[in-house]
Order: sequence, then structure tokens, then C-alpha cells
Amino acid sequence: MKNQKSLYDNRIRFKFFKKGEFRYLSHLDISRIIIRALNRAGFKLEYSQGYNPRPLINFSNPTPLGIESMAEYADVIIGGSVGEDELKKRINRELNQNVQITEVKKILIKAGKLMNEIGLNFYIFSLDIGESGSESVEEFCKVIDNNLIKGYHSYSAIFDYEIVPERKGYNIILLKLSGYAKIFKEKNNQIFKFNDFYSFLKERLKEYKIKIRNAKKEEMFVIQGDNLRTPMEVI
Amino acid sequence: MDKIKKLNFNLLEELLEDIEKPGRYINNETGTKSKSPGSPAGQSDMVFMALVFPDIYDVGMSNTGLQILYHIINEHPDFSVERVFSPWVDFEKRLRSKKVKLFSLENRIFLDCFDIVGFTVQHELLYTNILNALDLGGININSKKRSEDSPLVCAGGPAVVNPGPLSGFMDFFVIGDGEEIVISILMKVKEYKKNNKGKSWVLKEISRLDGVYVPEFYKFYYYSDGRVKKIEPGKMVKKAVVRDINKYGIVKDPVIPNIKTVHDRFTVEIMRGCGRGCRFCQAGIIYRPVRKRKVESLIKDSVRGIKNTGYDEISFLSLSSSDYGKIEQLIEGVINPLKSRRLSISMPSLRLNSFNLKLLEIIQSGRKTGLTFAPEAGSQRMRDIINKNIKEDEMLDCIKMAFGKGWERVKLYFMIGLPFENKQDIVQIVGLIGKIIQAAKGEMDRKKLSRLKINISINAFCPKPFTPFQWVGLGNPGMLYDKFNYILSNVPKRYVNIRWADPYMSMVECALSTGSQLIGDVIENSWRNGAKFDNWSDFFNFDIWKESFKKKGLDINFFTTRGFSVDEVLPWDFIDIGVRKKTLLREYEKSKKFI
Repeated sequence: MKNQKSLYDNRIRFKFFKKGEFRYLSHLDISRIIIRALNRAGFKLEYSQGYNPRPLINFSNPTPLGIESMAEYADVIIGGSVGEDELKKRINRELNQNVQITEVKKILIKAGKLMNEIGLNFYIFSLDIGESGSESVEEFCKVIDNNLIKGYHSYSAIFDYEIVPERKGYNIILLKLSGYAKIFKEKNNQIFKFNDFYSFLKERLKEYKIKIRNAKKEEMFVIQGDNLRTPMEVI
Repeated sequence: MDKIKKLNFNLLEELLEDIEKPGRYINNETGTKSKSPGSPAGQSDMVFMALVFPDIYDVGMSNTGLQILYHIINEHPDFSVERVFSPWVDFEKRLRSKKVKLFSLENRIFLDCFDIVGFTVQHELLYTNILNALDLGGININSKKRSEDSPLVCAGGPAVVNPGPLSGFMDFFVIGDGEEIVISILMKVKEYKKNNKGKSWVLKEISRLDGVYVPEFYKFYYYSDGRVKKIEPGKMVKKAVVRDINKYGIVKDPVIPNIKTVHDRFTVEIMRGCGRGCRFCQAGIIYRPVRKRKVESLIKDSVRGIKNTGYDEISFLSLSSSDYGKIEQLIEGVINPLKSRRLSISMPSLRLNSFNLKLLEIIQSGRKTGLTFAPEAGSQRMRDIINKNIKEDEMLDCIKMAFGKGWERVKLYFMIGLPFENKQDIVQIVGLIGKIIQAAKGEMDRKKLSRLKINISINAFCPKPFTPFQWVGLGNPGMLYDKFNYILSNVPKRYVNIRWADPYMSMVECALSTGSQLIGDVIENSWRNGAKFDNWSDFFNFDIWKESFKKKGLDINFFTTRGFSVDEVLPWDFIDIGVRKKTLLREYEKSKKFI
């Protein structure tokens, strides 16, 4: 049996982005890319037991294919003692410029799996209203307002949005969206995870001739009481 | 080419919307080595080559030959090569509807902007994909209709050792090992580009090299029934051979795909060629002579490669790994320094017996994923005819031992429609499967037995050029169906899964493998009628091919089930593959002794 304490000492959480071409890679692709980069950088990974040993690394919830993300997280157990900065430098050298680690922090407390911890995702979209004019946006917003359960705060169903005009583009506006979405009444009031919501929203927007541009995941949060904290703040 | 045109990223983003697995089209892998046109490395007289693998990215990136050529060409300061794959059907549709040409991955250069376009062809059923790629790339498929400005187009690989069927579409072919000849060819292409010499000049120049066939310089004469009468000139095209394979190390820093590919692992070619002499096997002849890589350098380079790539799986490739001789030393040498990496090893062509089952245990590190055997035939008589040197007792002993040690899955490969086949040969395939089940019942308890899986894969024998069975006709598809149905209805269903290849697909494969130039029109017509990805059973449509043969006034049976008579001029007789026709014929005669 391994000494539990020593395992905790080597647990590391890092934050990375995926953008440009890399947003076309799936969650599993990115996971493989990160693991191979860790191998190339020469870090000794801890493995699970059993016939099919897997490196002990777990990732935050998947961002849909095609969407940029500034906030992806992973927890990994690495053998030996390595400083946070050194770790960042060595892994980034092995990664494409479109996927780079921005923060590294040792996990000093008992932390659960990232997938389970994250309570809220924060996305930003640009909506391209093109030729259809601003009325369709207003119409769309009205439909949302009437049909959407907003600001509903339970652990797993929080939805909030904000539409603000973007400074530069005349026909581009910004939609800020966070959390899981508890959606339209005709959909049996079901709760969508973001992946489903994204495709749902895209279909919906087509009716108003609005296109989503530059969807981006900005941050993920852990919900502690009434507070939102980033995964880096809670460890 | 004066001006290299590229696809910009914004347009690519638009094209990729709602496309399946967009990761296939975005490049940016670790290990790419192409030089950018216009950059200091990509000076103006640099030769730009597109290396096209006429199948999807996921398949093409698993091919070791592609990585070898990519590496050798890009290492040269005067040449740059970029990869191109067949787009999947959804992306092809998008490209065609938006009128965007097929482009390379690295710098997104449109196919028709390259100096030279080379296809690496692993399978005859991909011929239609070749025409499709040329067409998508804005290049006329017929070499005679291409202008002086259009790129040189060539093909190499195991599926063009008989270049006849594709000869109307290619400016030239490369026969044999690519490592050395590709550089000799590109040197001439450089001179052609720099000094504005004509295409006929460069083709004349490279035709002097061993391994290059320029269709323009050969003339075929036919009898009225379609048989070849004469090939002129009599001078044969000699296969290119890399004598000293150790001169070229394995690729230690290959391109690492970003998405999951068919074989997502570090591959190491441990030897080339095979000395076994199975009479149906084309690879066994065309990759001769047998050349082994030195075990010391293999160990060093494999360990380096695993460290460079970060892969956790390594695959040792050859046509018959058991004949390498120092397999244990190799495996130990690679595993030991990489203990902390939990490396898994695969060895696709390991011939199993009780002795090396232990080796397999080490390789599979306790996982017992499954055993694979390729007896090819059910009876000893037939195995003697085809010269497949596997004894039933030996195989059953090994299987028994494996079942005793905890293996629960066995895979077996068989062929039907082999030369001189009779009913008993088929009956004994069923018999052999029965014996395996008996062996399992003897070695396994009831709980284990319930997990027993015997996977059977049955293919129709397809005669290939340059094999002792090249004269044999393909089995009649109707009869192949009957044989298969007999097997299917007579094996115990409980433990057995059977997969089999469509005999009509084999029929087209046979026509394309052993056909002459006359088949070219059939390929073109089939492609125009929608044939592509013919190796995918979801896409293969025999009706298209049948119609094309009819339309061109040809009988598909003449090119498949007829076979060839031994005194006939074969469409590939002008290629010197390194093994004489006389030798092949002698082997064919030998096989008849066992009838």
C-alpha cells in the first residue's frame, strides 16, 4: 500500500486553455495530448492498479467540440518533487501554442474529482445578427425572458444570462451565459448540461437568423455556499 | 509553380462547422516538419511535394511508410513535403459545395499548387479515392490532359506493383522501397523546376532510375479478347531496393496525431521482407529480400522514440516477427529502461506456439487480450498447397496451454476459394473450430467457458501479381457464398463470431490487382458514378462496377475468375520485382504435388 500522505504531496492542479485549431479537438483528444506531453517532459506519472494501468489524472468537465476554452483544469499525481513554475515551463515546452498551461498549484487539501466539484461554467458568445436586424434579437430575448427560468439557484441548475452590445461590431452582441441551463417550458422544464444546451440554442437561434460566433468558455466555478470560487481558489 | 495558394484559417473555420471529427483537418500536430513557402527555409527553388494517402486521416496516420517518407523528404534542405488525406464524405460535400479545393494539412496549400503530388497506395480498392483526390484538388485525372503547369503526379506502394490499371492517371510510378529513390527523383524535379525544363525532360531523366516506370514510354499490344500480346520495349523496370536497411534508422520523432487514429502508437519496423514463402502472399515476394534491423540500434531508437513521443504503446512491425530471431532481447531492452511508463507492446505478426506464448504473456503484461492465429486453411492438405507452415497439433497445443493460463479469446483467419479447394477443405475449417471448442472445454471451468470467444474472419482468396498463384482464377462469388454459408450453418454458434468479406468486393479487388491498362476506363467510369471508399463495406457498390465493365465492353469474369494461362504475357511482366517469373511458376507447380 502506498503512503497516502506522499500521494497527496504530489497532487497538482493546473489550468490550461485550448484555442485556435485546438478547439476542434475533443475532450478525450486533449486528454491524450496532455498525458503525452507530461510523458515527453519526463515526469513520472502515478498509475492506477490493475490489468490496465492508467495514469492518475482527471480532467474538468468537457467543453464542446469547436468551442474555445480559457479554463480547462486537470489534477495529476506526479512522482518526485517538482516546483510549480518548473512544471509549467517543462510541460508548456511540449505543448502546441494553442494549448498552454496558465497556472499550476499544488493540492494541499483533500479535494474531490474536478468533474464533481465544478458547479458552474461560464460561457460567452457573440451573436451575429447579420442582415436580420436588431428586432430579431429583441424578439429572441423576449422569448427567452418569457420562457426561461432565470436565476434559479439550486446546486445543479443555475442559469443566468446577460446580453450586452459589443463595442466594435455593430451587428455583434455578446451573450454571457453561466451554469447549467434550466430551459424552456415546452421542453418539460428539463435541465440541460451545456453540451446539449449549446446545440439547442444554436437550433433556436436559427429561427431568428442569428448565428453564434466565437463561443468561449471563460471560467469554471465551484459553488461554496453563496460564493463562487475558481478551482484554483479552493485548494 | 509560380504562386502557391493557401486556404486561410477563417475560411477553414467556416468549412468545419458541424463537420464530423474536425481534428482530421487542422494540422498542428507535434512532429510536423514541412517548411513554409516564403520563409527562409522555404526558399524559392524549393521543391514542394504533396504526399497523399487516399484514405481518411485516422487510417493514413497509422501508416508507417507515410511517416518514413515524410521524414526522409523533409530532412532534405531542398525539399518540403506536406500530407494530404481523403476528406470524409461530409467534408468532401462541404468542399465541393463551397468550391474549395483539397488542401494539404501543414500549410493548407491547394493540391494543384504543388510541384509534385505523390500517392502512397496500400490497397487496390482505394483507386477511386485517388481519382477523387485529384479531382478535388483541381487536377485533371487523366495525365494526358494535364498541362505543363499542372503538378507531376505519381504513385507508389504495394498496391501499384502492377501499375497497369492506374497508368492513365499517373505521370510515373515508383516500384519498390521509397527511401532512396524518392530523393533521386526529387533532385531531378528540382532541376526541372529551376531551369524550366519540360515535363517530358524530367520524365525521361527519372525513367533511367531503377524503380521508376513512366507509362508514356511503354506500349501495350492486346489480342482482341483482351489478353496482352506484347509489351514494348522489352527492357524491364527494376524494383528499387534499399540494400542496407540499417542505413535508415526508424523514425524517432514521427508526427503524433492529435486525434485518435486506428493505431495510436509508436511503430518500429524491425525487419522488412519475409522468408516464409506462402504461395498466396504478395507482401512476401514484393518486399524481398529479408532485411533485419540491428537489435542494438532498435533498442536505442525505440527507447528514444517513446521518450520523444510520449506514447505508452509500442508496436514492433514486420511480416513475421517470430523470424526476427532476437525478439526477447528486443522486448527486454525496451521495457527495462521504461519501467515507469507501463509500456504496452503489440506485435501483430507474431506466429504463436507453445514456446513463445510465454513471450506473449510478457508483452500483454497479464492482460490476456486475445490470441491470433492465421492457419488460412482448415486442412493440412490445403495448408501444404498454399505452403502455410502451421501444424494443427502445434496450434491446438498452444491454444490449450493458453486457455489453461487464462486466455478467453481466440481469433482465427481463414481463406476460402483457394486453388484446388474441395469440399473436405471447407468441412475441416468447421472441424478445426470444433476442436478448439473441445480444447476449451477441457481446460476451462464453466464460468470461464461462458466467456469464451472465438472470432473467425473469412476472406475470399484474391490472386495477386508476383505470387505463385498469380495464374489462378478468383473463386466464383456464388460458390464462395455457398462455402461461407456451409461454414456459417455448421459451426456451433454459442462461442463463435464469424466475419467475412463480401466476395463481390474481392472480385473488384481482383480485377484491379491483376488488370491491365484496359481497366483504367472502368475505374474512371465507376468513380464518375460515385464509387469511392470501396474498401468500406458501407460504400462499396458492386452494381456501379458491374455497369462500368459493361459500358466499356469488358467482361468482369475475364479479369477475375478466368485466371491466366502460364504461357500468357501478364500485364505486369515488364516489372522486375526481384523474383523471376520462372521461380514463381516452379512454386505454382510444386503446390500441385499436394492435390
